[in-house]
Amino acid sequence: MSKILTIPSNLNEIEKTIDLVDGFIIGIKDMCVNTNFCIDIEDLNLLNKIKDKDIFISLNKNMHNKDLEIVKEILIKLNSYNIKGVLYYDVGVLNIYNKLDLNYDLVWSQEHLTTNYNTINYWNSKGAKYANISSDITEEEVIKIIEKSKSKLMVTLFGYLPMFVSKRHIVKNYLEYFKLNDESNINYIEKEDKTYPIIDNSIGTQVYSNNILNGIKSSLNINIDYIVLNSFKVELDKFIIVIEMFKTVNKDNVEEYNEKINSMFTNVDYGFLNTKTIYRVKKNDKKA
Amino acid sequence: MIKKPELLAPAGDLERLKIALKYGADAVYIGGPLLNLRANAINFTFDEIKEGVKFAHSLNKKVYVTVNIVLHNEELEELEEYLKKLEECKVDAIIVSDPIVVKEALEKTNLEVHLSTQASTINKEACEFWKNQGVSRIVLGRECTKEEIKEIIDNVDIEIETFIHGAMCAGYSGRCVMSNFLTNRDANRGGCSQICRWDFDLLNEDKEQIKGDMPFTFCSKDLSMLKYIPDMIDMGITSFKIEGRMRSVYYIATVISIYRKVIDEYCDKNDKYTYNNLNELILRRCANRDSVPQFFNGVYDSSCSYYNGRAEISNQDFLGIVLDYDVHTKIATIEQRNYFKSGDVVEIFGPEHNIITYKLDKIFDEDGNEIDVVRHPKQIVKIKIEETLNIDDMIRVKLV
Repeated sequence: MSKILTIPSNLNEIEKTIDLVDGFIIGIKDMCVNTNFCIDIEDLNLLNKIKDKDIFISLNKNMHNKDLEIVKEILIKLNSYNIKGVLYYDVGVLNIYNKLDLNYDLVWSQEHLTTNYNTINYWNSKGAKYANISSDITEEEVIKIIEKSKSKLMVTLFGYLPMFVSKRHIVKNYLEYFKLNDESNINYIEKEDKTYPIIDNSIGTQVYSNNILNGIKSSLNINIDYIVLNSFKVELDKFIIVIEMFKTVNKDNVEEYNEKINSMFTNVDYGFLNTKTIYRVKKNDKKA
Repeated sequence: MIKKPELLAPAGDLERLKIALKYGADAVYIGGPLLNLRANAINFTFDEIKEGVKFAHSLNKKVYVTVNIVLHNEELEELEEYLKKLEECKVDAIIVSDPIVVKEALEKTNLEVHLSTQASTINKEACEFWKNQGVSRIVLGRECTKEEIKEIIDNVDIEIETFIHGAMCAGYSGRCVMSNFLTNRDANRGGCSQICRWDFDLLNEDKEQIKGDMPFTFCSKDLSMLKYIPDMIDMGITSFKIEGRMRSVYYIATVISIYRKVIDEYCDKNDKYTYNNLNELILRRCANRDSVPQFFNGVYDSSCSYYNGRAEISNQDFLGIVLDYDVHTKIATIEQRNYFKSGDVVEIFGPEHNIITYKLDKIFDEDGNEIDVVRHPKQIVKIKIEETLNIDDMIRVKLV
């Protein structure tokens, strides 16, 4: 049976859900994206309050040279805490990790690039014993990855999905250019009646899907180490219900649970779990 | 002695490959029949790759093939055979982003491997990692500043390639899948539908519209490093890359010839080199968007953004291409690309000579009849001109 990891939104949520879940993904401030709850490097002792849970730390931003010393410092400090692993996007993190003798694992977590089993096995051979599978692939592809990968695996099956990260301050630039005032912590962009959360923070700009992924049906078919549930922009009471359903779902109640989640939120879909992306839209008559 | 960097051009097909090399590129990068990020371009067949490689090698120049998609399970099966076929084509390197392609290429072929900008490599630790894996060149992420590039070059002994001209992604390469979500087209497998160029409504946290004079967009201006070429040469960057495998022959010829000239002038004259505004003007005229140095100077504020309601200029400057020149009769045969007429003053440029300014006093059709206007696409016409022209010289409107 898969363990349940959540990406919590705040400390209160961790306290309220700690008995329901198997672990958490927590970010380090200014060193991660798409991770709702981030702690300061000086506040790592907070991790000691989360006992007997699988804790994963996210350092998943793109690292520039100036970040590298900080990454090293964080990786060393984390060795004093009981964590399972560190999620990385930037290969520089892995290179630093491999120069240190650390007692936790690395999680290859390149959001949209973790799309096949051989590349997962490649990173496994380079030191990343876990992989966080992309949410841009189908259930069938996830199952094949699970069959053929050597790594321990996690996949997100609930929540808004990240779809864009930039170093640019795209919202701030727009406001500044047109001399507009707005103090929102979060904005939205809208197109054809669909709204997408957009955040412009110290790291740059991040954009999320308009719909919440509801992968509870797939959770029955995907026999994976960890199922990840993301509470970003989801009310806590509803999120707790979602966690409980993912913990207790079985073939008898799956349809009921699925409908329940769909009715709890106005914007729910199955993401790419049942939709294959395409990339060739023009016919090319040339023969190879 | 200044080390001259490689000038690396995009080529969408054989015609553009030959034009790019003739106009001064030291190497070209192309897409093969599979696994490249321009899935909807025409791309090269294996026979065309072989022909392109043969042509390039005859000029002591190089051809790199992009194998830069992010692979899904289903693409793994065709990878090894495809890489071996590229090896048979004698390509000089492949440009790769998925690490499994790096591994397969290095273990199962003798292909040289360059790491694509799609891998968003922007720091020295990541560069060191890839060097240790056997990658021979890294195309840095476009978010790097001048200082970051220098620090990487100073600390890691590996060839570094950077973009100097062309369109920019709004996000970190590989981290934008807006195309997947909004159009179901897979950005990391060559299907990008360029959502970053769309207009959106921007809303505040209460979902009320925040309205500027123009719509909200992710669109960024293009990159142009013309002013910074001397700095970049001094930094020791190995290869200067121009974006645009889908661009026209005119764009390729113009951009390559300008950068060729600037690189050569700086390397030859060094302290005596001076920046020529005319080069900038020519580049600006052949682009359809404004351009800036983007992240190089560490400035990526609203001056890098492009708010114009998607109005992009369609370039009409390219008038024709020289198909033939008879040195005895002084008659040039020209294929039309845009409307021109007798009496127009035009410029003729090519890799073998300086820009020629010429007044089109008389224009003749293929049968030798004098005509006033050339309005039909690809219409063949003849002009008499004393200066010797060469095949593939280009005719454009007079710019200044």
